[in-house]
Amino acid sequence: MTAVTAPPAAPARRDLAPAPRRRRESTLFFVARHSIAIAVAICALAPIVLVVLTSFMSADQSLTSDFWPHTWHFDNYAEVFRKLPMGRFLLNTLMYSVLATVFMLLSSIPAAYGLAKLRWRGRNLTFVVIICMMLLPAQITTIPLYLWWVKFGMNGTLWPLILPNLLGDAFSIFLLRQFMVTIPQEYLDAAKVDGAGEWRTLLRVVIPMARPGIAAVSLFMFFSTWNDYYGPYLYTSQNDKAWTLSYALASFRGLHNVEWNYVMAAAVITVIPVMVLFFFAQKAFVQGVTLTGVKG
Amino acid sequence: MTTQSAVVARPGTARVRRRRRIRHSLTVLSFMAPALLGILIFLVFPLFTAVNSSLHQFGQLNSPGVWYGLGNYKYLFTQDPFIRNAAWNTLWFVVIMVPAQILTGLSAAALLTKMRKGSSIYRTIFYLPALVPTVAGALAFVYLLKPQVGLVDHLLKLVGIDNGPLWFNSPHWSKPSLTLLAMWGIGNTMVIFLAALLDVPISLYEAAAIDGAGPWQRFRHVTLPSISPVLLFTAITGIIATLSYFTEAAVAASAASGQATVGGGASGSFGYPNESTLSYPLYLYQAGFSQDRLGYANAMAVVLFVVTFLVILVLLKRSKSFTEGAS
Amino acid sequence: MKSRRIRGLTAVISMATAVLAVAACSPSTAPKQKPIASPGSTASGTITFWHFFTDREATAIQGVVNDFEASHPNIKVQVKDGQDDDKMTQAIAGGGGPDVGLSYSTDIVGKFCKSGAWQDLSQYISRDKIDMNNIPDPVRNYTSYAGKQCTMPFLNDAYGIYYNKDMFAAKGITDAPKTLDELTAAAKKLTVFNKDGSIKVAGFDPLFGFYENSAAHFAAMSGAKWLTDDGKSAIGGDPNWQTVLNWQKSLVDWFGYDKLTKFNASLGDEFSAQNAFQAGKVAINLDGEWRIAFLADQAKNMNYGVAPMPVTDQSRYGAGYITGNVIGISRGSKNPEAAWEFIKYLTTNTDAVVKLANGIKNVPTTKAALASPNLTTDPNFKLFLDISANPNTVTTPPSGAGTTYQDDMQAFLDKWQTGKVSNLQSGLTGLDTQINQALANAG
Repeated sequence: MTAVTAPPAAPARRDLAPAPRRRRESTLFFVARHSIAIAVAICALAPIVLVVLTSFMSADQSLTSDFWPHTWHFDNYAEVFRKLPMGRFLLNTLMYSVLATVFMLLSSIPAAYGLAKLRWRGRNLTFVVIICMMLLPAQITTIPLYLWWVKFGMNGTLWPLILPNLLGDAFSIFLLRQFMVTIPQEYLDAAKVDGAGEWRTLLRVVIPMARPGIAAVSLFMFFSTWNDYYGPYLYTSQNDKAWTLSYALASFRGLHNVEWNYVMAAAVITVIPVMVLFFFAQKAFVQGVTLTGVKG
Repeated sequence: MTTQSAVVARPGTARVRRRRRIRHSLTVLSFMAPALLGILIFLVFPLFTAVNSSLHQFGQLNSPGVWYGLGNYKYLFTQDPFIRNAAWNTLWFVVIMVPAQILTGLSAAALLTKMRKGSSIYRTIFYLPALVPTVAGALAFVYLLKPQVGLVDHLLKLVGIDNGPLWFNSPHWSKPSLTLLAMWGIGNTMVIFLAALLDVPISLYEAAAIDGAGPWQRFRHVTLPSISPVLLFTAITGIIATLSYFTEAAVAASAASGQATVGGGASGSFGYPNESTLSYPLYLYQAGFSQDRLGYANAMAVVLFVVTFLVILVLLKRSKSFTEGAS
Repeated sequence: MKSRRIRGLTAVISMATAVLAVAACSPSTAPKQKPIASPGSTASGTITFWHFFTDREATAIQGVVNDFEASHPNIKVQVKDGQDDDKMTQAIAGGGGPDVGLSYSTDIVGKFCKSGAWQDLSQYISRDKIDMNNIPDPVRNYTSYAGKQCTMPFLNDAYGIYYNKDMFAAKGITDAPKTLDELTAAAKKLTVFNKDGSIKVAGFDPLFGFYENSAAHFAAMSGAKWLTDDGKSAIGGDPNWQTVLNWQKSLVDWFGYDKLTKFNASLGDEFSAQNAFQAGKVAINLDGEWRIAFLADQAKNMNYGVAPMPVTDQSRYGAGYITGNVIGISRGSKNPEAAWEFIKYLTTNTDAVVKLANGIKNVPTTKAALASPNLTTDPNFKLFLDISANPNTVTTPPSGAGTTYQDDMQAFLDKWQTGKVSNLQSGLTGLDTQINQALANAG
């Protein structure tokens, strides 16, 4: 670990728009780069545009591959809200994502600190085990745990999805640990000399410096729980009071076919909040991932 | 309670040292207890249960069922007609889809680093697909790539390609089509690469430029080594995610087959067309739930875990940079 | 040198794990069947009822539920719609589940009966003297498994063929094909190719995987059997399979497998307005009785006819394929008496069955209802009623291993129709072995 001379809050790292080194850059490159960027943007947006267009179609047309609505049904959105209590689902999803994130932080930050800055036997083994957990296919864990949650009477709620985060989330622990490792030891030693114990060091020194990393893992957790389908499917399918937005997508079905126009409208409703969140938080997001030192 | 890391050594009594050790252990425990408990409950326990279940024969409604010894494993390795296909498909995804995703994420990130004006907007647009619910995205792709009538084939016809591939309806093109879908949604990978690319010190590039290195050489000798830990990280997480690839394949198969998807579930169309998209997890789900062979599904899960574990082991051994760095 | 503490910690962890593992092994005890009440006692209470219908059909069911509550004032029914088999299985596995559950298909009959997830209704049936002969034989075949009558039939679907009368007239064909050869001849005559050789209109689309084309449905044409009486695969030993499969392949080869695949990929969704038959892309199509309602809704001007499936043995003509919804009582039900009253009403009360059939537009499952004058029917729908009651009509037998044998068959057929199977008999015998092994693995 190299000694850092610059204060941690302003690292010697590039910003997204570097100071132009070559002012006389040929317009050819400029046009080429932007053309490629626009082409990629079109590829990225085309399916999303189709999703939006489908959300305005009639039910019949949504089963066909005509991609321009013959008739515009703006009331599809109102219909979605009328068919299902999307407002409640929004609240459920919000509760799920927010609580999962908060619980994750409560358990993972200390664990990451323990793995990064404390010395104890078995630390490296535990870290490897945590990496293994992070990389475990979901199929291994879901079925055995499901029967236990049912025994505790939690079936039909979102708690089986939220509570496990009180015991740490492997991916977050990993990222936070990588981040904390880059915090110079001098700051911690200074705090110890002042008489702070490990917990106070964590709270007063490490967490403020770790803000970008914390922001990054929070956003990762928030986004992944927001769109989580399999979890709510497993635990809340019988209790429609606990459904989330992503699970509601699966309910727009007739006897013989899926009502894709409503599904897409619901999908749009699901995406908009996180899209807004991402737009405002992207700087912090990227900065946080940058500073996690995932690069090693 | 204070614990001092640098302590004046009193001609110490063993008791004082022991008390310090105990205090230290308790401190560590106070930090690590939730995570350790988590490991026990969410790693050790499910593994144990999965292994135990795999030695039984049972369905959803009569667990834990009847003792079956190694019967499920015998069936898996010697008799199952689908397992080879499922394993092959998943292997295909690992070998082709993961590098494709990494390349796409890296290229998109590299492109973003070069943009000055509007990079923030481009960044949002490139990331957006990762926020779209999987079901909606997969379905949109199926419709875009519908043979003859989808938008992509329309465009191909404009360029003169009349007999375009059948995309999701062709056994040869279905997996590539799923790869395209995966490449579309690489927002998270892209952000990680973006961070890594921005982290490469400019001084290294300048030094290389002074030495006369061209853009490709700069990439090979400056960029790649600097981001190689991130490359490894995304490769590992990508491989593991691909080993549990489920939703997109299921949705695309059922949508492309054009058959009814009703109360009984869509598992009749898993793998459409011709078992070409039957990934290992899809088959695991089908065997466990549609065919009610949960013991066997658990055996499949255990085998999957062992393979995953070996892959992790091999890749981790090749990189020390993960575990290094702690004080 | 391991410190004592680490060893201690390891010991605690392994003990805890062992305890958890053992605890996980505790068997879920299925409640023993309670002795049922004596005849004549009145059931009462509140029961929950789950079904998978939504929208219009759900409203139809609610109407019948209301009738039941009116005639049984002591029983209240709480209805939940949109519940599929997966949710019901989960709920019952978790110890809960509705008192009365309705399943979309017969795939669950095997596992629900075998595991006792749905209660054996035989005691109730004999106590209340239900006449099971009122239920057509083919229907009865799919409602029980391994000697346990754990379901009653609710409504069913019957399959026949639809044909485009205008196209028939244009080619001078007057009658619907009755034999496989006639079907082939008609298909070839009605097919139209584009200039580049691709298919424009298919007389009949023989590819497995297209809409309702499946082994189960085609098996009805020759009466081929899936399982022997002791639950093993009968496919390799039944020449009727080879008859129908060889016929199918010869028609596929005549079109050209690649051409058919390309053609199918361009067709609309089965239930969209661009359905291939409704859009005039396929002249003869195998389909269920619901297609009548879709045609009335989406293709009013189409001049179509319906007929039973072509068959190899003409004495079987008029038979077809059926599958149906089934209804049962969860093993954890707190009020099985009231649940049984409800099921009895829904499945044997002729007026109720007729009202359901009229509302949902499916085929009723009692002979009395089939013959009832109150059943709204037109000549087309009547054909499907006859198919459902025909004693030669076949269905897919229930199996304790769910869809296993059908999945195995489908994979085999994928190979078969691409020409990868050189010897059909040995291929089918091999399939038998595969299926038997899979069934053995399922226990």
